[in-house]
Amino acid sequence: MTTARRDGPVRFGHPALLGVAGPAGLLLVMELAPRLGLIDDRFLPPASRVLAALATEAGTAAFWTALGDTMLAWALGLAIAAGAGVLAGVVIGSVPVLRALTASTVEFLRPIPSVALIPLAVLLYGTDLGSTLMLVCYAAFWQVLVQVLYGVADVDPVAFETARSFRFSAWARIRYVLWPTALPYVFTGVRLAASVALVLAITAELVIGSPGLGREIAVAQASDAVPTMYALIVVTGVLGVLINLLARTGERRLLAWHQSVRGEVTV
Amino acid sequence: MRRLLAGLAAVVLAGSLTACGSDGDQGSTTEGGVDKVKVGIIPILDVAPIYLGQKQGFFASRKIELTLEAGQGGAAIVPGVVSDQFQFGFSNLTSLMIAQTKNIPIKAVAAGVASTGEAGKDFGAVVVNAASPIKTAKDLAGKKISVNTLKNIGDTVTRESVRKAGGDPATLNFVEMPFPNMPAALADGQVDAAWVVEPQLSTIKAAGGREVASTFVDAAPNLTVAAYFTSTKLLESNPDLVGRFTEAVNESLTYADSHPDEVRAVLADYTKIDEKLRSSLVLPKWPVQINEASVQTLSDLGSKDGIFTGAPDLEKLLP
Repeated sequence: MTTARRDGPVRFGHPALLGVAGPAGLLLVMELAPRLGLIDDRFLPPASRVLAALATEAGTAAFWTALGDTMLAWALGLAIAAGAGVLAGVVIGSVPVLRALTASTVEFLRPIPSVALIPLAVLLYGTDLGSTLMLVCYAAFWQVLVQVLYGVADVDPVAFETARSFRFSAWARIRYVLWPTALPYVFTGVRLAASVALVLAITAELVIGSPGLGREIAVAQASDAVPTMYALIVVTGVLGVLINLLARTGERRLLAWHQSVRGEVTV
Repeated sequence: MRRLLAGLAAVVLAGSLTACGSDGDQGSTTEGGVDKVKVGIIPILDVAPIYLGQKQGFFASRKIELTLEAGQGGAAIVPGVVSDQFQFGFSNLTSLMIAQTKNIPIKAVAAGVASTGEAGKDFGAVVVNAASPIKTAKDLAGKKISVNTLKNIGDTVTRESVRKAGGDPATLNFVEMPFPNMPAALADGQVDAAWVVEPQLSTIKAAGGREVASTFVDAAPNLTVAAYFTSTKLLESNPDLVGRFTEAVNESLTYADSHPDEVRAVLADYTKIDEKLRSSLVLPKWPVQINEASVQTLSDLGSKDGIFTGAPDLEKLLP
């Protein structure tokens, strides 16, 4: 990204410039590999043809509807998962009995790949937004929950006991002691969940056929529209970069007061 | 305090497990005499008539508000129809017979798609690379052939092609892969031959591929490949709706069969097949009648290959 540590390795050029040079190099390789005959251009068309297909796609209403559907599934899923994750995390984290009680269950449920739940999702919600949401929520929820649990565990016991001896109410203790400590963890969790949510939204659409970019990719694939398929894949990649940028910027702005952010130099 | 927190936690936990996801909406609600109907389909060439019929208003004129659910996996369609998420579905007849032998309560209500019946000019075939030593179906013996689903219509009809050409169908080595992967797998030599349908069939031929067996043609004359079906529950509870749906599908099939240019045009609405391919690919036939003799043959072939758990009861399955 655009931040670098003060005592990092020797820098070559401006980071933003390097950030652009990366994808440009990738495009060049994608253009040359098929043109030089290293790869059959029926299966990996040159970048120029993919970009042309992207331009054509961008001119259709169906593309923008699909993009909207994917973003809706992503945003809704992330919001539900983040809300539920933070709530559950704070509650479980602050009650030791609950924490001990749920520890093994969380560790059991967390590694189950969302994709394995596709048959269940289809059975419950059919091939609509609901099934995409279920997968997105499931995957994103654990990212947030686990981070919040760590955040709650990181609360300084002395500060907490001090607040208690000053007769802070339970709510005030959560608001003024627990929450500020846990907040950077919450942001890390949400940032991780944001990427995971996008991956799962696209995957669900691709496999289940619920509306969105993933389904468009599957249709392009079934239609032998190879450049269009790659064009849509490029779009999902760009979405990923944008979401990450957004999450990092949001994190920096909202946590400007926190040590973890203050310690970094913004270039 | 602690008790309050614990109670809260229980609520949150229960909530977070159920909160993820909204309600799946059900169709079939009657509003001012118009039935909302969801049809589970696969977004392929075969279902062009229903898209065309929807456009032409054949369903609206029969008070059916049609939603076409183009889920990717054809496997989700039968469970979807049985669980009432879809009121109707589109599936190939071998899959329907497999479901029937498992006593899944479904019944075909209209023809779906049929072979053209002309060898070399059908919408499905076994193809090989231009340079392949395989010249006829008989040469397929002992070779690796890709099909989209194992123990289904693809391997059954391919075996029959080899059998009819005098080869030993038991020696065929089938591998499963999605149709879109087949052109690359064939070009790359991962498989010796591929059983494909349009549009991959045209793509492979355009790249120099050679057709060695018109499998649907070899299996039975004018083979009915797929059909629209519903659950026996809906058939009993709302025979009027099923009747109207069948009429609308039949009108759509007839219209599609006599308007190939409009079929090619409607493909642009629900697939991304490019214009060149759209104008050149081989269209199937869309007769209104399910060719029962051909379905019987398909059933016999499937039984011979051991893909059914018992003999399919066509009386129960076909309309």
